[in-house]
Amino acid sequence: MRLANTMSRLMAGVFGATVGLAVTGTALAQSNEVVMQDPGGAYGDALRKIMYDPFEAETGIDVVLVQEARSGPRIKAQVEAGKTEWDLTFIFDQETKLLGDCCLADIDYDKLSDSAKKTLDTMPENLKRPKGVALQVIGVGMAYNTDSYTGEKAPQNWADFWNVDAFPGKRCLPAWPRFVFEAALMADGVKKEELYPLDMERALKKVREIKPHVVKWWTTSAQPPQLLLDGEADMCMAYTGTMSLLALEGAPIELNWNQGFIYYDFFSIPKDAPHYDNALKLLSWRLDAERAAELTSAYPVALPSPLVFEAADPEVSRYWANNPDNVAKAIVWSPEYWGAMSPDGRTTNEEYGQEKLNSLLAE
Amino acid sequence: MSAPALDLPAAGSRAVPFSQRLRNPIWLLAPAVIFLSFIYLVPLIDLIRISFNGSTPWIHFERVFSLPLYWDSLVRTMGISVTVAILCCIFGYPTALMIHRTRGWVQVFVATTIILPYFIAILIRTYSWMVLLGRNGPINKLAVALGIFDEPMQLLFNRGAVLLGMTAVLLPIMVLSIYSSVARLDSGLTRAAAASGAGPIATFWRVLLPLTLPGAGAGFLLVFVMGLGFFITPTLLGGPGDQMFAMHITQQANFVTSEGFLQALGVVLLVITLVVVGVAGRFLGFEFLWGGGKLAEAHESKSRSGASAPHRRTAGMVVADTLGWPILRALSKLPGSVGRVTVSAMTIFVIATLIVPIVAVAIISFSHASYMTFPPPSYSLRWYEEFFTDSAWIEAFLNSLSIAVISAVMAVALGASAAMGIVRSKIVGKTLIMLLIVSPVIVPPVVLGLSLYGLYLRTGLDGTIGGLAAAHAIGGLPIVVVIVSASLQSVSRDLERAAAVHGASPMTVFRMVTLPAIAPGLAAATFFAFLHSFDELVLTLFLTGPRLQTLPLRLWADVNYQLNPVLAVVSTLEVLLVIGGIILARPVLARPQRAQ
Repeated sequence: MRLANTMSRLMAGVFGATVGLAVTGTALAQSNEVVMQDPGGAYGDALRKIMYDPFEAETGIDVVLVQEARSGPRIKAQVEAGKTEWDLTFIFDQETKLLGDCCLADIDYDKLSDSAKKTLDTMPENLKRPKGVALQVIGVGMAYNTDSYTGEKAPQNWADFWNVDAFPGKRCLPAWPRFVFEAALMADGVKKEELYPLDMERALKKVREIKPHVVKWWTTSAQPPQLLLDGEADMCMAYTGTMSLLALEGAPIELNWNQGFIYYDFFSIPKDAPHYDNALKLLSWRLDAERAAELTSAYPVALPSPLVFEAADPEVSRYWANNPDNVAKAIVWSPEYWGAMSPDGRTTNEEYGQEKLNSLLAE
Repeated sequence: MSAPALDLPAAGSRAVPFSQRLRNPIWLLAPAVIFLSFIYLVPLIDLIRISFNGSTPWIHFERVFSLPLYWDSLVRTMGISVTVAILCCIFGYPTALMIHRTRGWVQVFVATTIILPYFIAILIRTYSWMVLLGRNGPINKLAVALGIFDEPMQLLFNRGAVLLGMTAVLLPIMVLSIYSSVARLDSGLTRAAAASGAGPIATFWRVLLPLTLPGAGAGFLLVFVMGLGFFITPTLLGGPGDQMFAMHITQQANFVTSEGFLQALGVVLLVITLVVVGVAGRFLGFEFLWGGGKLAEAHESKSRSGASAPHRRTAGMVVADTLGWPILRALSKLPGSVGRVTVSAMTIFVIATLIVPIVAVAIISFSHASYMTFPPPSYSLRWYEEFFTDSAWIEAFLNSLSIAVISAVMAVALGASAAMGIVRSKIVGKTLIMLLIVSPVIVPPVVLGLSLYGLYLRTGLDGTIGGLAAAHAIGGLPIVVVIVSASLQSVSRDLERAAAVHGASPMTVFRMVTLPAIAPGLAAATFFAFLHSFDELVLTLFLTGPRLQTLPLRLWADVNYQLNPVLAVVSTLEVLLVIGGIILARPVLARPQRAQ
């Protein structure tokens, strides 16, 4: 009896789910929306509140978010299968070239809003490409616990980071070759103007030196702040966004921009995106200087335009990656180098370096 | 096996073509075989095809084997899996004996502590170890308080943590596998040994161990093969020196230029798994995949299993005599109670490693602190409130629920019919078909996810509830087939025949006789297939789309991005769900056991 009961309830459930599926299916086909890649975490919360909720209220277009850290391979697979699902994504600098011909649509700059055009006018040409527009300046720098290193004893550069005698403590570094190899070479005395093309073997040798002191080779942006706050690490190479947010909130964390890295996330529309026009509308919305300044004040990932920078509180913008003071201290990071083919001609330098680094870390 | 012949006259008397066709049980295999061909075999073949796409066919494989990185990782993966299998054997054996020997509530308690974790998601159990081993976790706090450590130690992100986590995750499989052979043992044998003057150790070595070796061997192989494809546990608990092969596949999936090479990595892992299973199956029989020979009994004559058992015993005895006897002579000088104490102590240790993490997480879920620390500075329900008021968590939960229900229905419909076909038909190549149906258990989920990704994109199934349910049903199907086959074998054929002789149509026989008898098995199978889908993460990672968030996906994202007490809440709720399911299913689960 009980079984019959359970079965009937189960059947009802299946029926409900199937009908629900069919209904959402048809609703999706007609609905007015834009599918946007989302970084998640605290940044995702800020984006939802400051950007997407008002956008939905004003335009009536639903913003559907997909949490995904790295979208390049997914875009390629979707476009090649003829099933593009995303309307707006952010990809690496080098990926606008690697994916440009096969998988990305041209951005129709004429159709963007007037306020967006105004912001774009202030941006360098190289950041407004046919297949992508740089919307996020990302900083990677040195963050340290101010309880461990104070005042005079604060680390100044990557040589200090590598110097465990003068700056005792645990380190954390990303588990990627990009940034880590550059920092290793600078710690080894290479001038920041003479880094590229990288001497990978020399970098690896230097990485081997610091390896015993690295408590965690991190893979997601939330790990270094957690490690610093928990006291697991004293000094980390980290994304400046979350770190500066914590510093602003009064956590015992400080950032050093010297020899840091600045790069751009490019916003691109995949080929055959289902809601191309809506993607342009959302792109316009995010390019509005005032809104962008408000977003960046809540979460310090900046839009690379002086208009946005000028619209913000200097106390907050001192942490921004496009603050001229920070830019002057940082190095010009080369996405071209990492996207280029490696000497053996089989992979990109990035993959080649990743394999080398993995082997070293696995020892 | 003369049963079908007896059925024939009855079939002849009611010569309805439809029921005639229905009567041939071979057709019952068709739906499952067709389903698996399309959604499982074809994508795997496609994966192999893409792996040969390159300037030369072997270029990607050359890269896999020419770089020490991947070769070392293969060796490491094998080493970790063997170690875990050995650890599971050492700790699983006494636990299985303990379940067999104890009675009453002790037995129920020991059995529950083993079975309960078996149903809890690997992700949640790994997460609970992160909590336990963390710098602010209970182990560090206790060790500092007792003065063992001066300051909290780094217990996570090393090989030891990976081995511990994987052993804890896979141990229940080993215990259940050994227990199934211990339980089948004729208790008269051990009594006879004791009556003949053998001490407890001699009885163990010469009677118990040789007879239960097949169960232990089956468990060892299952654990080893599953360990090869492990991804979640080493990712979360290991350091950079503990990269297992499946992790390279997910890392490569991040590069846009990796097509072909990525698939080659998957093919390498698949081939190694299949070779291990193939070699093992050649020597031991493939029955270990579906639980130690239950099927063999079903369609082969009783005399074979009777004949093979003494053979194994003699082989075991040779080993026992040459290797073990001298050691045992020395050991037997110890009092007899030592053995019993050792078994109990190891069982208690095993129970602790399985239950303590779950309890610690449950306590943390009631913490008031906004970060993970143990013991919680104060208690509150704030994280439960956070979970139930967060629409994203609730939506993920509802998605997982719908997917799991549909997936369970699919797996049960296809699986029960296939089980009828397997048990009731007599066709050649039955083992081969069973092998096909059960094989998804051993294919590493990362490889399966990678192979399905292309198919799902082309067909638009990715990110749909139905698509994910179907993908989960690939793994649910074997579970259903194994359970339903077992309960079908306990159905009396005489009753079915009697009904048929009295004029019941095949459908009526099924409805009135067979179905009620296998209902408990069906219910259990439904529950397991449901849980399999509800907990599934790795396939889902590959196959989800923009709009579809499941509970394990949210958990995975949060474990990687921000360890917070909401995760402890979700874990605790899942544990409660499983306990509730087991309690509900207990009456039906207990019945087939009594029948045996």
